[in-house]
Amino acid sequence: MTNNISYQEALANYKAVAERPLPEVNYEGLLEKYHPDYFKDACVQLKIGPNKGDICHIQLAEMLQADARIDEADLAGAQVIETDILIIGGGGAGCAAALTAAETGARVLIATKLRLGDSNTVMAEGGVQVSIEKDDTPQQHYDDTLRSADRSVDKTLVAEMVMSAPDVIRWLIQQGMQFDLDEYGDLLTRKAGGTTAPRVVYFRDYTGLEMMRVLKEAVRSSEIEVLDYVPTVELLSDEDGHCTGAVLSSLEDNRYKLVKAKSVIIATGGIGRLHLNGFPTSNHFGATGDGLVLAYRLGAKLRDLDSFQYHPSGLAYPQHLSGTLITEGVRSAGAYLLNAQGERFVDELQSRDKVAAAIMRECAEGRGVDAGNGIKGIWIDTPGLELKNPGIFNARFPKLIKIGKKSSIDPRKQPLLIYPTLHYQNGGVIINKHGQTNIPGLYCVGEVSGGIHGRNRLMGNSLLEIISFGRRAGIHAAKYSPRKPFRKVTIEHLSRLRRELMLADMPMDPKGPILFPAYAKFETDSDYSGLHKNIKSK
Amino acid sequence: MNQTTETLINATINGKAISAPEYLSVIQALWHAGYPRIKSVGCLEGVCGTCRVLVRRQNSQNITTELGCQVLIEEGMQVNFLAFPTPAQQHYKLEDIRNSWEVQNNFHTIFPEAENCRHCGGCNTTCPKGINVEKGVILAAKGRFREAGDLFTECVLCDLCQSACPENIAPNHVGIFSRRVTAHLHTRPSNLINRLERLRKGELKVVI
Ligand SMILES: Cc1cc2nc3c(=O)[nH]c(=O)nc-3n(C[C@H](O)[C@H](O)[C@H](O)COP(=O)(O)OP(=O)(O)OC[C@H]3O[C@@H](n4cnc5c(N)ncnc54)[C@H](O)[C@@H]3O)c2cc1C
Ligand code: SF4
Ligand code: SF4
Repeated sequence: MTNNISYQEALANYKAVAERPLPEVNYEGLLEKYHPDYFKDACVQLKIGPNKGDICHIQLAEMLQADARIDEADLAGAQVIETDILIIGGGGAGCAAALTAAETGARVLIATKLRLGDSNTVMAEGGVQVSIEKDDTPQQHYDDTLRSADRSVDKTLVAEMVMSAPDVIRWLIQQGMQFDLDEYGDLLTRKAGGTTAPRVVYFRDYTGLEMMRVLKEAVRSSEIEVLDYVPTVELLSDEDGHCTGAVLSSLEDNRYKLVKAKSVIIATGGIGRLHLNGFPTSNHFGATGDGLVLAYRLGAKLRDLDSFQYHPSGLAYPQHLSGTLITEGVRSAGAYLLNAQGERFVDELQSRDKVAAAIMRECAEGRGVDAGNGIKGIWIDTPGLELKNPGIFNARFPKLIKIGKKSSIDPRKQPLLIYPTLHYQNGGVIINKHGQTNIPGLYCVGEVSGGIHGRNRLMGNSLLEIISFGRRAGIHAAKYSPRKPFRKVTIEHLSRLRRELMLADMPMDPKGPILFPAYAKFETDSDYSGLHKNIKSK
Repeated sequence: MNQTTETLINATINGKAISAPEYLSVIQALWHAGYPRIKSVGCLEGVCGTCRVLVRRQNSQNITTELGCQVLIEEGMQVNFLAFPTPAQQHYKLEDIRNSWEVQNNFHTIFPEAENCRHCGGCNTTCPKGINVEKGVILAAKGRFREAGDLFTECVLCDLCQSACPENIAPNHVGIFSRRVTAHLHTRPSNLINRLERLRKGELKVVI
């Protein structure tokens, strides 16, 4: 193992300076050598299901090819609920879909794993992309997204998304969301890494909190029905392969509930709590990729299952905050990244995959900071930014000041130690511009869907995507479902799954979706004794 | 810097005696000690308002309400997780408020209790974010919605103030209403509106 430089020594090497020139940086082969997506043995070929033969991250593959948590006997006697549109997941995408669908008078039910609003959305800090500045166009937004994606994307989805961005912001304002404005009341913008124009609108470093509490309030004060603490464990289908509802497991009474619905919208978000490749994560507690598993079993096709975003600036020290995000907004505002020798080593506003890989290179080659207990990282030069722009942290980054208090480090005086953190699932379920999957009656929106970000997502494009496509799915489902009759509800598709697993000689003991990370010990928790357990899982 | 010689802290969480390193939050400490915990866990970053705990510190008679992911474990600390159902909420639609002259009237219909604030300060004491909730309620009741809303910038909708209020005012929802109505009726950015106009006229296209 390479010896990095000790925390104390590196701190002594550090001096706050307002301006530092950018050194020559070599990006040649950087990703291939250091980005976790390229780690040897990180991926395998899927053996069953609609993506059979495709490359997939090994930990995700285990979930996609796991047996179901329930069987036929669990449906008998379960409480049955009927609704026009069932929305699984109460983050930003789910709430946007629910609100637009309910506007038409459709009956809408949101069923979510934790409490409404416990999500990745509430944690977002940086902002939302929308081309509104004079010198910016939707075309530039489109081009930037494609360039940073570094892989083929669904161009129609990207074009639809960037064209709808201004209307997304208008809709959010109509729901009551505040943004940071200049003295004339115009939206302030800042530049995200990998983009050609300032295009990110924001509210302090609380953009997601502001968005989520407004949407949550809008949902709770409306007619939309909400069930908290009911993780979905399975979808329901009929003999024609339509999605016809879902099976919920209630953490309140430890029973299964059956929801019959004319349309189902999955909005379960990301996957960070699977801790891929052993990385810490910036994601919320419920981000375990359940939606991918549910959709895959029913036959929905997925894409880009080998590509994840590691955000360059996760807090590395102190240990109890490991993985906590430091928003890219801080780098956008001009903060430098410095190695243990106190030198810049990367263009801080390069795309996230490159910046993350460059940090890992510094640490692999002995120019990182060693904070003991295997903790390593490099500095984010917050004092330098404060010097350049006095008062900026108080005005723009109150959340960061709070993080500083919890770590007993004042970021205005001392740089923070950072290392990449698992942040975002780039791929997901394939959808069209209405959020429809290849399964009739099944929509997927938000982080659970794929096709827009390629191998690398731009800051601000996710909050845009969840509202843009959440609304589309809501409108489409509301237009086509209420007049339709209810269909049969079965779990016939599980017989197919189990047959395939057997034929492929796969183990039957891991059960999915996993619902909670292993350290929460759901599987051994006697509080939930009415529900099936997956004792064999670690 | 080095935590190899870890000091363990003893505390009581949900009635269970627990030893854990000092740098863990009370949720992490519970997991560390091998106890399950699912409910009342959310973002783990202090913004979702789910992990409400009652805390009593050693040698103190005071009981405080805090967020479990934000409280580091301390020697002799007693912690209890609070799980209460989400309280019922006012039903209203912002679209029904026709213009800014009508907000006050609408506000008092939606929140009839807000005028009854008895300035007991219960909401301020319970708020884990240190928000001057009471002042927010007073300002809103006077019709100063922008000012009231600004006080709630860091509100995480944990509902603690709502459970504390003897007058059933739902101060947090008063705060969010104030914020929402301000944006809904007054945020009119010309840069956004110009862009929407150009899009409406078909002046901007994306070539795939
Ligand atoms: C710390 C952080 C900062 C970020 N900053 C930005 C930013 O500045 N700009 C940007 O554009 N993007 C940002 N992102 C990304 C963005 O926030 C997310 O990608 C986006 O909010 C995802 O929204 P969603 O609605 O798809 O999922 P979420 O908001 O995560 O919601 C998913 C919901 O589904 C529920 N759920 C999960 N499984 C089940 C199940 N089995 N049954 C029922 N319900 C279930 C969850 O509990 C949750 O309520 C950030 C992400 C993080 C973590
Ligand atoms: S104002 Fe009320 S709901 Fe908001 S954070 Fe404070 S106590 Fe919680
Ligand atoms: S708790 Fe209720 S009555 Fe007491 S000060 Fe707060 S709002 Fe007023």
